[in-house]
Amino acid sequence: MLRPAILAFAAFLALGHPAAAQDKPNLTVYTYDSFTAEWGPGPALKAGFEASCACTLTYVAAEDGISAFRRVQLEGPTTKADLVVGLDNFIAGDARASGLFAPHGLDLSGLNLPQPWTEADFVPFDYGYFAFVYNKETVPTPPTSFEELIALPESFKIVVMDPRSSTPGLGLVVWIRQAYGDRAPEIWAGLKPHILTMSRGWSEGYGLFLKGEADMVVSYTTSPAFHALTENDTRYAAATFSEGHIAQIEVSGILKSSPNQDLARQFLTYMISAEGQKAIPQTNWMFPVIDLGADLPEAFGAPPAKALPVDEAAVTANRNAWIEEALAAIR
Amino acid sequence: MPRSADSAIPRRPLRLIGGAAVALAIALLVGTLFWSILSAASAQTSSGPTTDIGYLIYITTLQASLSTVLSLVVGIALAWALNRLRFPGRTLVIGLFASAIVTPGIVVAFGLIAVWGRSGWLGGLGVPIFGLGGVVAAHIILDAAFAGRILLARLDAIPEARLKTGQSFALSPLNRFAVIDWPAIRGTLPGLASIIFLLAFTSFPIVLLLGGGPAVQTLEVAIYAAARLDFDLVTAVTLALIQIGICSAVIVAGAALAPVSTSLDRPVTPRWQDAGAARALQWLVLGLALCGFAAPLLAVLIDGLAGLGDVLGDRAFWSAALTSVTVGAASALLALMLGLLVAAARAATTSRIARTAIGAPAYAYLAVPAVALALGAFLFVRNLGIVPDAIAPAIVVIANALLSLPFVMAAIAPPFDAIARSRGRLIRSLGLGGTRQFAQIEWPLIARDVGLVLALSFCFSLGDLGVIALFDTQDFVTLPLLMVRALGAYRTNDAATIAALMLVLTIAAFIALPALFERLSRARA
Repeated sequence: MLRPAILAFAAFLALGHPAAAQDKPNLTVYTYDSFTAEWGPGPALKAGFEASCACTLTYVAAEDGISAFRRVQLEGPTTKADLVVGLDNFIAGDARASGLFAPHGLDLSGLNLPQPWTEADFVPFDYGYFAFVYNKETVPTPPTSFEELIALPESFKIVVMDPRSSTPGLGLVVWIRQAYGDRAPEIWAGLKPHILTMSRGWSEGYGLFLKGEADMVVSYTTSPAFHALTENDTRYAAATFSEGHIAQIEVSGILKSSPNQDLARQFLTYMISAEGQKAIPQTNWMFPVIDLGADLPEAFGAPPAKALPVDEAAVTANRNAWIEEALAAIR
Repeated sequence: MPRSADSAIPRRPLRLIGGAAVALAIALLVGTLFWSILSAASAQTSSGPTTDIGYLIYITTLQASLSTVLSLVVGIALAWALNRLRFPGRTLVIGLFASAIVTPGIVVAFGLIAVWGRSGWLGGLGVPIFGLGGVVAAHIILDAAFAGRILLARLDAIPEARLKTGQSFALSPLNRFAVIDWPAIRGTLPGLASIIFLLAFTSFPIVLLLGGGPAVQTLEVAIYAAARLDFDLVTAVTLALIQIGICSAVIVAGAALAPVSTSLDRPVTPRWQDAGAARALQWLVLGLALCGFAAPLLAVLIDGLAGLGDVLGDRAFWSAALTSVTVGAASALLALMLGLLVAAARAATTSRIARTAIGAPAYAYLAVPAVALALGAFLFVRNLGIVPDAIAPAIVVIANALLSLPFVMAAIAPPFDAIARSRGRLIRSLGLGGTRQFAQIEWPLIARDVGLVLALSFCFSLGDLGVIALFDTQDFVTLPLLMVRALGAYRTNDAATIAALMLVLTIAAFIALPALFERLSRARA
């Protein structure tokens, strides 16, 4: 009853929707929204890859990487996605367990990553370390550890994100857990008076910080590079914590159901090639996974001296318990 | 059913059928969405919600109740002041106030922060804006001004004769409010209360942005986490049903309340001004409202100036603007059509049960959590064998129309009721058919409200983020989505400019559309 009406309406509205060229194979990539935005790495990677692949690359964007993966899960084997780009080491365990991804078969031994890469299903394309970002003018001496931060007066405010709706939010939960183990609830309780708010996503939280509402915000060590390179504003810096920092590693995976396995593998190879990697740092504001030498602007700085490993299996198994204990400690 | 009570109301079986069909279709649609999710979840094992659901329900209900009561009180005060006062720029002020509710909540929240935050214009006063107080304050800014706008339309429609009589009795300002104003706005309050409660209950980004931590959160965050992070669809649906259950109680209570006759005259410039203390109070209310409501919006506009050149020179902006305006216009027309059908049917019966059954589903859609809505729509469309991307624009238009339907109902259902009651005998004695009843009696009287309704639903769709964000494709980008993308890519200035331009568009629509339909209604009459 509803169907003809919807179809007619869709046909009416879909006028001008570009049909894929019939003669070239089409590679469909599910990814997150900011990847495909005009400021993101998507457009350059698409142009670069299409120049050599004799194919059409189509992005389908979801709100974030997890949502892109959930969409594939909902669609199951009938999904038209060939690849999912934008999963990370916090959700990779769930993604592998879904059984939807095929081994990539690429040699990744030459990659330059925080931890050796032995993953059979997923290919990393960038990474960044979570850190608190601050304004050097308003915070001349930033805290150098969670414990120093806790000891500051209560008027020193930080913005964090909800771990249930935001990746950096989840990142902070895992970071504190990896640094302090069972002492994590104690650290969270110590942070409580400093937490201005727990925003839904990184964007809103970072916006609050830029408005001057908080002294520090959960973000990445590479965030200041954006302000330095795009806005010529060198006031921002990332605080180095003596406990060490954990990395979010963004990865891609090929779906078993894809009829374009070779083409998908070609795209992943392109993403980690020198040309593909050059498109990423100044669009995604993350570190490349190969050594770009002078092509990585100095403003990105060096990765933190002390990196904490992320135990992916432990994250997958304990994620909800860790989120729960963190929320309980600050409720 | 005793028919005696209906004797004054023309019998309109076609209207009843039309309204019932819309109500049924909406109820079926909501049901289908949930069924789609549940059938997709059938293979899953649910671990149950891990969060403290009881606490989330408690705090969300408390927050929504506070937001509703305070918004209505402030809204009544505002409508009262604006009805009495005349000053240059009044039209602009009314347009500005009404635009708050349809501006993306996150934009208003940032406006609030720009004024009251520690680095804000009035930051020195140290007003705490994070926590329950901040969330409720943001909701009052969004909803009280909207309530004021709708109530003002009812006050402005009080017949001149009634005012003259009141004036000849020299009613005191208090008695004037009790005897003349209160009866005119009473019928509108339950519908408004339902809408505000639903908006506050389902408000997600504002609550998290201003809530100050997990002590003040919302049930939607748990639903979102269940659907996205845990992929536990059974829990997601369970929680969504709890939310709908609570909201439905409010909706049904609102829809069931007996209709009260609403006045229906053309607005006249009142020459009856309250004197003395009442007048001073009216100026005070207006002054406070200007500071409280207009300042955050003004902050949004000023913030947006910085990136104006960049954004206006960007092709993506114009393409998104075109998409947004198209989606907004289509949604607004659809919402108006559905609203007219439902409101006309609801007014064609005096049975309380029938009125509730026809009216309540119009509000139901607003109670469905955005993530459940998107998930369900996605699965539903897939089950039909349609590629979701291709149909995304249609889904967005339909969803936005259904989301704005409560606004349409709040604005035009009371006048429809009032016409049925006050002109019913006339219509029967003239033997007018339904079409002529609409063309000759109803349309001239509601045309003014139609302008407001179109502006509301147009802007509501224009600023919508909930539906569009989940049906995102490369070629279908609206202004709010562009704004979120800019925010997500550190482009705070661009995002601020897009927010400001959306606000300008919204205010323009709120001034132009009601004025246009006002002129149309005069031309027809």
